Amino acid sequence: MDTKIIEFAGLLRQNGIRVSFAESLDTFRALDLVGLRSRATVKDSLRATLVKRAVDLPAYDALFDLYFSGIGEIVKRSEAASMEALEMTPAEFQALLDALERLLREQGIELSELARALLQQDSGRLERLMREAAKQARVDRIERSFQEGQYAQGMQQALGIGDLARELQAISEAIAGMGNPRGDDMQRFVDRRLQELQEMIRRYVRRELEQQDVAQRDSLRMQALAEKSFYYLSEDEIRRMKEAVTKLAQRLKNVLAVKRRHARRGKFDVKATLRRNLQYGGVPFKIQFDERKRVKPQVVVLCDVSDSVRNVSRFMLQFVYSLQDLYSKVRSFIFVADIGEITKLFEENEIHQAIDQAIRGNVINVYAHSDFGRAFRLFHRDHLAAITRHTTVIVLGDARNNYNLPHEWVLKEIKQRAKQLIWLNPENKMTWGFGDSEMDRYLPHCDVVEECRNLNQLYKVIDRLVLV
Amino acid sequence: MSFASIEEVIERFAGERYICNRTIATVVYLAAHLKKPILVEGPAGVGKTELAKVLAGALGQELIRLQCYEGLDEAKALYEWEYAKQLLYTQILKDKIGEVIEGTKTLHDAVDRISSQDDVFFSERFILPRPLLRAISSAEPCVLLIDEIDKSDTEFEAFLLEVLSDFQVSVPELGTLQARHVPLVVLTSNNAREMSDALKRRCLHLYIDFPDREQERAIVLLKVPEAAAHLTDELVGAVQAIRKLDLKKAPSISETLDWAKALTLLNVDSLDSELVNETLSTICKYEGDIRKAQQELKEYVARQKAKAARPTATEPPKDLLH
Repeated sequence: MDTKIIEFAGLLRQNGIRVSFAESLDTFRALDLVGLRSRATVKDSLRATLVKRAVDLPAYDALFDLYFSGIGEIVKRSEAASMEALEMTPAEFQALLDALERLLREQGIELSELARALLQQDSGRLERLMREAAKQARVDRIERSFQEGQYAQGMQQALGIGDLARELQAISEAIAGMGNPRGDDMQRFVDRRLQELQEMIRRYVRRELEQQDVAQRDSLRMQALAEKSFYYLSEDEIRRMKEAVTKLAQRLKNVLAVKRRHARRGKFDVKATLRRNLQYGGVPFKIQFDERKRVKPQVVVLCDVSDSVRNVSRFMLQFVYSLQDLYSKVRSFIFVADIGEITKLFEENEIHQAIDQAIRGNVINVYAHSDFGRAFRLFHRDHLAAITRHTTVIVLGDARNNYNLPHEWVLKEIKQRAKQLIWLNPENKMTWGFGDSEMDRYLPHCDVVEECRNLNQLYKVIDRLVLV
Repeated sequence: MSFASIEEVIERFAGERYICNRTIATVVYLAAHLKKPILVEGPAGVGKTELAKVLAGALGQELIRLQCYEGLDEAKALYEWEYAKQLLYTQILKDKIGEVIEGTKTLHDAVDRISSQDDVFFSERFILPRPLLRAISSAEPCVLLIDEIDKSDTEFEAFLLEVLSDFQVSVPELGTLQARHVPLVVLTSNNAREMSDALKRRCLHLYIDFPDREQERAIVLLKVPEAAAHLTDELVGAVQAIRKLDLKKAPSISETLDWAKALTLLNVDSLDSELVNETLSTICKYEGDIRKAQQELKEYVARQKAKAARPTATEPPKDLLH
């Protein structure tokens, strides 16, 4: 068992779950305590000692089942399969096995170990032989599915399947030569078992491959998701996006907390110190420092939902929605040529509905030609009061203005009033300023301008924002 | 008084009116025998804190609780000198101090004389033990609950690590205090922040999720025995369905219990009632959540009714009213 645990810990590590040496030791102690009788208890014990992050639990469960269901399961399944193929009841099947054994003994046919294990349904021995062969063929090194055949072959060779086939052939002939009434069944059984062995090997190799794959599959999915431009979001993807945005928000908050802590140790407050130490007769036992007021982050988001950014507007709105979910002081607007506030809409609706309504044109006409200049002017007229010196303004859009007046003076004014002005452009940086893109005119008025059309880029952007 | 087997954990917890599954029991059993802290994670309101309380109850030990928050420091968690008391004593003992320094010629001599006796003021008499020190110096074995460890700062976590690995504390004026009994430690976390690997390595990890339908039903039956049996069924089913929605905050177990109590108090015996909508605020705490829950509840009741209508037409007359 010890080697199996160590091997399993290695497998977990391979799959990106951090397991330290000390933790493997804990596992041994835990198993000494609870014993190996109940599978569920062993699973719980290993989980408690080896897996320390909630996110790793699904991978752990999958790996445990794969690793510990093991060869035994495969062997057992193959026995059932042989029985089914011969269309016999368990009793008949057992009788056949006994008859075969008797016959072989009478004939004085000496079986090899493998053949005996196979024909007498000795699953324990078969399991051991297969495990040894797998080790010899280094099946645990399999990485890709196209290698399955190669490793299966290696295992067959290690088991000596060629010799086995000849041996079984001889037995089959011997049976045929005797005219036993059940000879046919026995012959079929012997043939069948050879096929089953090959099947078992194939299954075993497949299982090994799956073990290597669990985490890889997961990380690949995350990667794919991060690169995706969010045409359509599945349930799972939304959850992951939320996780990502929450993590980003957390990161922001941590940085803020550190800043605050430093700020807290700011100035010495004479008045408060005196007042606080009155109870000690004015002897300053406790020093009081200035405390800075906490300013909640205020965010105003302007999101372009015009036709030119159709394929990323879902992503951008999702970002807006998550943002609004996390902070209390977020006001969000969408614009094409008009501008409309969607704060309320996003607050009250579930994410899919909210986004659908926003881009279907319930708030503003989304089929107009985009006109950033006009939208900005309208924002300036109606909503400028939303911006104070604590506000961070985020504009999401491609700045494709259809050759209308850009009115960049609005941005200039916003920048003067706001704490920070950030522009996230879903378009490739190379195309900014070409054609009807007015990015070059808007750019000088922004504090931060970044290219951002998927989760990976968003991560990078936030990383940089935090440093600012 | 430790647990002899996993089954005994389940039994003794049931005695404390806490229904736990085998996973929880296994981890508790292991922690008690390996003398390792348990790090409990899971959504809010699944009974993480309750687990520690029940554990203390089941073992018949005192529960010492340390609530973590941002800015929690050693002084609040470990010990503090009682300045005020020290000051008071020096005032009262002024004359005595006068006697002690009587006859000294220089200031230097006087300070020497006093400092030779200053251990009077820095003794256990003037120390104010906070939860960690109390747990370590306790004469009886105890359970130490460190609640919401994720709210604390990383510095505090590092400090905690030191305490948890050796169960000893050094107070410069007094020397090192070694724990007489290694307390059973339960740390809870809502995962607001990922804990450090070093801390996790020292702990057994336990993830408690919301209970499944059967388990939750058992909990409601146990804690709100006055609720009608079929109401409990319906209610638990509804809560389970509501939890699947995308809510700001999913209803916790205690909220399910509150709801059951509220409905029982209002003499409601089926979810198919006007009153039910008005009591939804016991399980959902956000306006948007309540609206989603109402919608889901309506659908749930309709589904239930369809299910009930199919097999038998002899269901109670409440169906016929509609």
